[in-house]
Amino acid sequence: MGYIAVKGGSDAIHQAKELVEFYRVKEQTPPVSVEQIRTQMRLACDKVISEGGLYAPEYAAIALKQSEGDVFEAAFILRAFITTLQRRYYSETINTREMFIRRKISASFREIPGGQVLGPTRDYTQRILDTTKIEETLKDIRQFLDRFESTIDKEQIKEITTYGKVIDLLKREGLLKGVGNVEDTTLKDITREAIKFPAPRSARLQMMARAETGGLMALGYSSMRGFGNTHPTVGELRYGTVPVRVRDRAGRVRYIGKIELTEAEMITTMKTDKKNSVPLYSIGYGLCFGQNDTKAICMGILDRAMRSPEGGAPANDAEFVLYHTEGVEAMGFTNHLKLPHYVTFQAGLSNVRQAVERANAAPAKVKAEPVAG
Amino acid sequence: MEQADYILCECDAAALEAFVGELESCHTIQIIRQPAVCMTMVKAEDSVESQPFYLGEVLVTDCEVQVDGQAGFGLCMGDEPVRSYCMAVIDALLLSADFAATGVKAFLDQQAVLIADRERLEYNFIQQTKVDFKLMEQD
Repeated sequence: MGYIAVKGGSDAIHQAKELVEFYRVKEQTPPVSVEQIRTQMRLACDKVISEGGLYAPEYAAIALKQSEGDVFEAAFILRAFITTLQRRYYSETINTREMFIRRKISASFREIPGGQVLGPTRDYTQRILDTTKIEETLKDIRQFLDRFESTIDKEQIKEITTYGKVIDLLKREGLLKGVGNVEDTTLKDITREAIKFPAPRSARLQMMARAETGGLMALGYSSMRGFGNTHPTVGELRYGTVPVRVRDRAGRVRYIGKIELTEAEMITTMKTDKKNSVPLYSIGYGLCFGQNDTKAICMGILDRAMRSPEGGAPANDAEFVLYHTEGVEAMGFTNHLKLPHYVTFQAGLSNVRQAVERANAAPAKVKAEPVAG
Repeated sequence: MEQADYILCECDAAALEAFVGELESCHTIQIIRQPAVCMTMVKAEDSVESQPFYLGEVLVTDCEVQVDGQAGFGLCMGDEPVRSYCMAVIDALLLSADFAATGVKAFLDQQAVLIADRERLEYNFIQQTKVDFKLMEQD
C-alpha cells in the first residue's frame, strides 16, 4: 500500500510546540537546572545515554529537560544529535578488568575475589514512598554528606585495588568454554552499515548495548519464564568506571576520561550442539553505558539465547530480538500511526462499505461482521 | 604521558584553567584548531571469547595548539573546550626541551595527590557496602 503525503498545518504545528512548552512552565516553578538533572536524576540520565548510544551525561540531562522527562524522546534526541557531529576517533579496546568497582556481586558464588560489594543500590530495600523528600533542603543534603563522610575512619583508609573476575576462576578450572558456534566474528558497525541477518555477534552486541531497557527486559524475562531454554545465573554483575584511551595522530595512546559501565556475565549450562554432551558452562555477555543492572542482565541472557542452536522461542530469534528492542525505531514506527493516514484509511473504508453493501444486498446467510484490526 | 593525561582529565577544571592562564604570559601560544566537540566510538570486547564490538559513542572535545613552536594536542571526554585547550598547551610543554622550567610537573604532582585522595575516599565509601550473606543453615 502506498502512502499519500499531507501538506500544510505549519501554524498548528508551531502552536502545538508552543503549547507543550506552555504546559511545561505554566505553573511557574523555578527552572530545573541541567546540573540538577544530571546529578539528582542520575539513573534517568544513565538510561538516556545507554539507549541514546551516546556517553554524554550532561547532554542527556538537557534532553531529559527538553522532553519533560520522557526517556524515549530524550534518547531519540541524542541519537539525532550524534549524526550532527563528525566521528574523529575510535578508542582502543576498553578493558573492563581495569574497572574502578562501585558494585560487584555474584549470585553464583558467595565468595568472590574481593568479596561481594553491593555498591549504590536499592536492592534489598523496601519501596516505601519517602514523603520527607518534599521538604528536602540544601541544608539536609549537607548534613547527610557530613554524616556519611564521618562513617569513614580517616586513619584507616584502604588503598584502591582491582579484583579478578568470577568467570576467570571458572575458566582456570576448565569449566567455562566459549559457546563454540560457527558464526561470523567480524567486527561490524551497525551505525555505518545496516544490520543484515544472520547478524554477526558484534552487531548483535552493539545493537543490544543501545537497545531499550524495557524491550530487553520483556524478551529476557520471556526466556527465563520458559519461552526458550536459557536458565541463567548472574556469574558476576559489575558497575563502575573504565578508562577510555585513544591513539592520537602521532600514534601516542592517550587517556581521554572514564566511562561508567554496567557489565553482566550470565552463566548458563545450555548445550551448544547434540554432539557435545559435556555440560560445560558458557556465558551470555551484557555491557552498557551507565548504571543499568536490568539492561546488562537481560542483554547477557539474550546474547546467550540468540546463540542457542535450538531456537523456537522469540528470545532465540536474533531478528525478533534486535528489531523489537531497538527503542528509537520501535517508538518511531508506533508513533507514525498518529500521522494522517486519511487516504489509506478512506480506501480501506470504501472497500469495507462496498463489502457490507454487497452482503446486505445478497439474500444468502452471509452477514456483515465487524472488521478485525 | 598516560599519567599526565589522567591527571589533566580528572583534575579540577578551574585549577587547570588558572594554571594554564599563568603559563600564557610566559609562552607564545597559537591555536591551530579551536576546541570542538566530536565523537569517539568506543570499542569493547566480551570477557570470555574476546569478541570485539562497538559499545557506543562518547562525546569528546579536541584542540590543537603550538606553544613556542611545539605542537600540542588535547583530547578529553565531554563538552570541555577549556580543558581540551589546557591539555593541548600542557601536552606541548611536556614535549618541549625546557619542560623542567615550566612548573608543569609541580602542578601535575599536586593535582595527582588531590585526585588520589578523592578516589581513595570514594573507594572506602564503596567498601562499606561489602557483604557476606550467610546461608540460613549457618549461625
